[in-house]
Amino acid sequence: MEVIVKIISVAMMSVFVQNAIFDRAFGSNVAIYASRKNGTVIGFTLGITAMTTIASVISFFVDQALLPTEFGWLFMPLIYAGIISVLYILGLLFLWGVFPKLFKRIRKYVHLAIFNCTVIGALFLNSNYGSDIWSYLGYGFGTGIGFFLACFLLNIAREKLDSEKIPKVFRGYPIMLIYIGVVSLAFYALAGYTVDF
Amino acid sequence: MNNKPSGKISLDGLFRQNIVLMSGLVTAPIVVAATSFERALVLTLSFLMISYSSILICRFIPRRIVYTVRIIIYVAVAAAMYIPTALLLNALFPETASAVSIYIEIIVVNSLILAKTESRFYLMPYGEMAVDALIYVLGYAMAAFAVGIIREFLAFGSLFGLRVCDAPMPAAKTPFFGFLLLGILAAACRALTTRRRIRSENSDIIRDIIRKEAE
Repeated sequence: MEVIVKIISVAMMSVFVQNAIFDRAFGSNVAIYASRKNGTVIGFTLGITAMTTIASVISFFVDQALLPTEFGWLFMPLIYAGIISVLYILGLLFLWGVFPKLFKRIRKYVHLAIFNCTVIGALFLNSNYGSDIWSYLGYGFGTGIGFFLACFLLNIAREKLDSEKIPKVFRGYPIMLIYIGVVSLAFYALAGYTVDF
Repeated sequence: MNNKPSGKISLDGLFRQNIVLMSGLVTAPIVVAATSFERALVLTLSFLMISYSSILICRFIPRRIVYTVRIIIYVAVAAAMYIPTALLLNALFPETASAVSIYIEIIVVNSLILAKTESRFYLMPYGEMAVDALIYVLGYAMAAFAVGIIREFLAFGSLFGLRVCDAPMPAAKTPFFGFLLLGILAAACRALTTRRRIRSENSDIIRDIIRKEAE
């Protein structure tokens, strides 16, 4: 029971307090891209959540072995890239074998859901703040859910943000950034921070 | 694949296709970490060393290797380039490099390497590609320095590390301000490029009219 509570509390923290998009801006470009359609929101969320959760658990053992060494930190991007690459290939093989039609449809952009700052950033944050395997697991899973929350909030606002009421030069990418900034401010307050203007 | 040199240097990477302000391919380091001139410098150097050198090296990867594997090799090369980059930056800027370390580490999976290589750079001859990729890096540097200098003044009341006044807006160092500022700069960049395009189209029309009248 204690383990479950720990996983949930760390996951909640990574969704609301250290949200990958609103607090760290990890993969904000991917979130903007994924939020265009409901289907891509779900597809990207599933891909990213699976990757961050599984890769976080694997990276726990790597961190235990390498981080205490003097130059271990220098090789972490290479090792994390290796972990993500292996999972990427296994994921593609799984899709190819089990859902061949889906594999044909998504194979051109599936790497965007795998090789992005959200996934690799979660591994680096885990190596900095994670304490045991359960916190790694909770943080990895929470990062994926936090990504979904960000995509959902972008998706529901997209129609209004693209409307005629928005000045032409702001429509699209600029207004999306400003909207993410406003939501980020709300998350900042939710986390209990105060701001000196 | 068209590998003939066009002889033209495209400045798209500076404004029209700026990877931070226009296409948003690389935003996280600028939004969160670019809060001063020195941080912008460290982010730019790391981006130059990791992304630019990876693009130059990965060009030699044969195109007959399947796309799935090529993507993995691109990331592996970038991650390998991180090692000398981190050693150099930690020697030159130990405090700043340590403060922004996570934003240097995540550059290994940035979209300039993963997206632009296949869709743009590797369709060009090598020399032209090297110049074009450098212009994209300059576009990144321009955005990083603009955001870094503005935020350094607002958040700390200093410019280029020299104290000027009391901090006018300490909140400028937060991520949400980074998003807001980047959104405004993106709109300004779009307005500028639209104006330039319209002016260039108008001058083309006038040139056509003059030529027809002369005929």
